[in-house]
This record gives sequence, C-alpha cells and structure tokens, in this order.
Amino acid sequence: MKKGALQISFGWLFAIIVGAFIIFLAIYGVTKFMGTEQETIDAKTSNEIGILLNPLETSFESAKTTSFSLPAESRISNGCNDRGNFGKQLISVSQKSFNKWTETNLEASFLNKYIFSRETVEGKNFYIFSKPFDFPFKVSDLIYMTSSKETYCFVDAPEDIEDEIKTINQANLLTEDCSENSINVCFSGTCDINVNYNQNYVKKEKELLYFVSDSLMYAAIFADPDVYECQLKRLMQRVKELSSIYLDKAISVNERGCNLDINTDLIEFNRLAGNFVDSKDSDSGNILGFSSIVEDLEDKNDAGGACGLW
Amino acid sequence: MVIKMKTTGGFSILRPNRKLKIILNKGGQMKIQQTAFMLIAVTLFFILAGLFVFVLRFSNIKEASRMIEEENAMLLVIKLANSPEFACGNSFGNSRTNCVDGDKIMMLKEHITDYSGFWGVAEIEIRKVYPDSESTLCTLGNYPDCGIIEIYSKNVNKLPASSNFVSLCWKQDSDMGVYAKCELARLMVSAEDKT
Repeated sequence: MKKGALQISFGWLFAIIVGAFIIFLAIYGVTKFMGTEQETIDAKTSNEIGILLNPLETSFESAKTTSFSLPAESRISNGCNDRGNFGKQLISVSQKSFNKWTETNLEASFLNKYIFSRETVEGKNFYIFSKPFDFPFKVSDLIYMTSSKETYCFVDAPEDIEDEIKTINQANLLTEDCSENSINVCFSGTCDINVNYNQNYVKKEKELLYFVSDSLMYAAIFADPDVYECQLKRLMQRVKELSSIYLDKAISVNERGCNLDINTDLIEFNRLAGNFVDSKDSDSGNILGFSSIVEDLEDKNDAGGACGLW
Repeated sequence: MVIKMKTTGGFSILRPNRKLKIILNKGGQMKIQQTAFMLIAVTLFFILAGLFVFVLRFSNIKEASRMIEEENAMLLVIKLANSPEFACGNSFGNSRTNCVDGDKIMMLKEHITDYSGFWGVAEIEIRKVYPDSESTLCTLGNYPDCGIIEIYSKNVNKLPASSNFVSLCWKQDSDMGVYAKCELARLMVSAEDKT
C-alpha cells in the first residue's frame, strides 16, 4: 500500500454510503411530514374559522361582534368566486413557522357565508362583526373581518353610524381619540376612505363602490374593491333564489285566500338580480337602480297584512 | 503437500494458500451478508415506523374531519331557523326568533336542487312534535296535514342528528280569513359521516 493513502475497508465504505442515504431519507421524510402537518393545521384552521362564523348570523339584532385569536401570526386569505348558483366564499390560512409563511393550496369553501375584508388579513387577533342585509327581505348576514393591527377611525360620521360603532364597542373601530396610524374613514373631506352617505358610495383606491344600506356601506369600507364586488354579486345570486321562493309562496298563499298583488314585481326583481354585474353596472344603471322596485316590494308586502311574505 | 478435495465432478487439487483465500473470502462474504441483512432490517424498521406514524396521523385527520362536520351541524342547527330561507321574519305578525315559515319551506323543497351543498350538511328535516306528531312525509298535496318535512337529504352515511326546537308556522285558511297557525317542531340537521 502507498504511504499516506487512506485505508478504508469495503464494509466501512458500504456502511457510510448507505448510512448517508438513510439519514438523507430520514431528514427528507421528516421535512415532508412537517410540511404536511403544517398544511393540515392551516386547512383545519380555515374550516374552523368558517364554522366559528355560524353563530354570528343574527336573528333580529342589528349587529353582533366577536373576536378570535390564532396561536401563531397568520394570514387569512379571503377568496370569492361567483360561479354556480351562489358562488363560493373561500378561506385559507397561512401561518408563520420558523419565520417563514407556510404555503397552502387548501381552501375551505362555504356557499352560505359572505365575508368582507381585505384580500389578505394579517395578524394574530382578529375582530369580526356582522350585520343583516335586507333587500327588501333578509338576504344574509354580512360578516366584516379586520385585524387588531388595523384601527379604523370614523370621522364626521352621521349620528346613527357613530352610535352604532359605539354600541358595537369593537376595540379597533373608533370615532374619537384616533392615532396617526389609523385608517381614516371620512364622511366629509378627503381621507384614506371617503364615504358619500347622501349619494350612497364609498371611494377607496380611486374606485367608487355603491351601496344601498348601512350593511353594504360597512362592507365597502372594510373590503377590497374586488372582494366587495364579488360578494355583492353572490348576494344578488341569493336574492334571485329567494325571490323565486317568495314568488312560489305568493302563488301558494293566494290560493289559500290571500290577495297579494306582488307577483309581477317579484318576477321583475328576480330578472334584475339575475342580470346583476357589479355595484356600478346593472340593468338599472347601478345598484341604486334597484331602490324603486325594492320600495315597491316592501310597500306591497306590508299592505298584505296577515298575508305578508316576509 | 497436495490436498485432494472431492467435488461433484471428481477430485480437484488445491494448494494451501488457495484454501486460505477461500476461508478469508468466505469471512468477507459473511460480513457483507450481515451488513446487508442489517441494512434490510433497518430499512424495514423505518418503513414500518413510518407506516405506523402515517396511519396514526391519518386516523387523527379523519377524526378531526368528523369533529368539524359534527361541529358544523351543531352550530348550524342553532342558527338555521333564523336564516332567510327558513325564518318567519315578520310574516306572522311580529318578529319571532326560532320560528320556521312552513309555507316558505315547502317552496324551498321545490328549489332544493339549486341549494345542493349550500349548508354543507347531509340532511335537514323538520318533525312536528306538538300537538300532532304524525309520521307522514309532507308533500305539496298533503301539506299542512302531515308530520315530517324532509327538506334536504343526501344519499350518504350520516352522523347522528343535532336538533333544535322551533315553532313551525303557516298561514291557515278559515271562514274568518287567513290566520297564522304555529306548532312545536324539531329542526334536525345531520352531517355526513366521511369515516
């Protein structure tokens, strides 16, 4: 043997190579397992958030608020698609692990929920409050989700809005003593978010988002424009289905001695809701174009007395 | 010295250093065989341990999924009576909570294909409890003289139902005109058993 050459027997060489291979496999397996585990946690959290929103649906209360915390710094993605009869509310959660955001393609989907928020809400503590949307019958409860990291300051809000915000008593919604970092929501003048309460629109990111009720005004304030328009389209899909049910109910109760003159309006309302595109553009100009038919429906339903449909 | 070895084909002649080599080679082969067996055993151990962990983990995921489904059904049954498709609203005089509009439900049944998957559960039904607890299934023909309104039923394995007491109201025709009639009922929701 040459002097200085390393003498390794075949057995050692074999054991080193195979040992290294086994260690590599073990590390690879553990890393993969941890990734899957994290993805499972994310998917489970997404589903649980959706389910936790169930009790938020109101009966006759004007607004309900609650909060929840996640064990780690998280990003909740609010997805929305308007395909199918009701579209879908998609929720996915990405959590910070070892200073890196986990990647997940697993989304929990819900057909009966409408969450208005930024496309991605980041934080550990989240606030949610809900408010019913009547158009003119109850369509759904709208859910507004914000992070505790963001504070909204309502400046010069009308009295009823200011009272409602005070009643809700949500820590990140203020009407006075606002900090410099808070997002200003102004009802007059120019701010981060501008609300024109008389002409029923919210201006943010240079876009106009029209609303027809206070519940939609809050939706426009808290949601990104794309989220707002998509969820509004989904709400109109539900309006369409509900108006069909009420039309059938009207026919049924009229056969039992009622005399409701509402069918024609319900058919027209159903058509308009089916053709709805976004808050700015619909058959009747924008969502404000629904106002007259909504008022008619409300009047005719009230006039029905004991035969009222909703 | 010459050694004669008997082989199958007859005798062969081997020198002593050749014999030593054979013994050494046999020792080496034994060591390689031992290492190989050891490696196979270690690999098998890892595979079995991995499989065990995987099965344990998978059963946990199934359990978590079942619990989420059950939780969904339980929370849904609490608020379902107040959802727009079920709620009485103001149609029976004044606002009522946990009141289900029977007339609306019967019409919802006609549109139920549009609502497939809407509540994320496997079955929703309403059973009259008091004063009548009939077991006749409701159709547009026999309504309201029936006991069970099966609103939605998916053809899958179902978990035990969660239920909530509600008042089931409808508009009843009489000589005096139309009036609201209400009875006590149970709203039942079952989740799908995916395990």
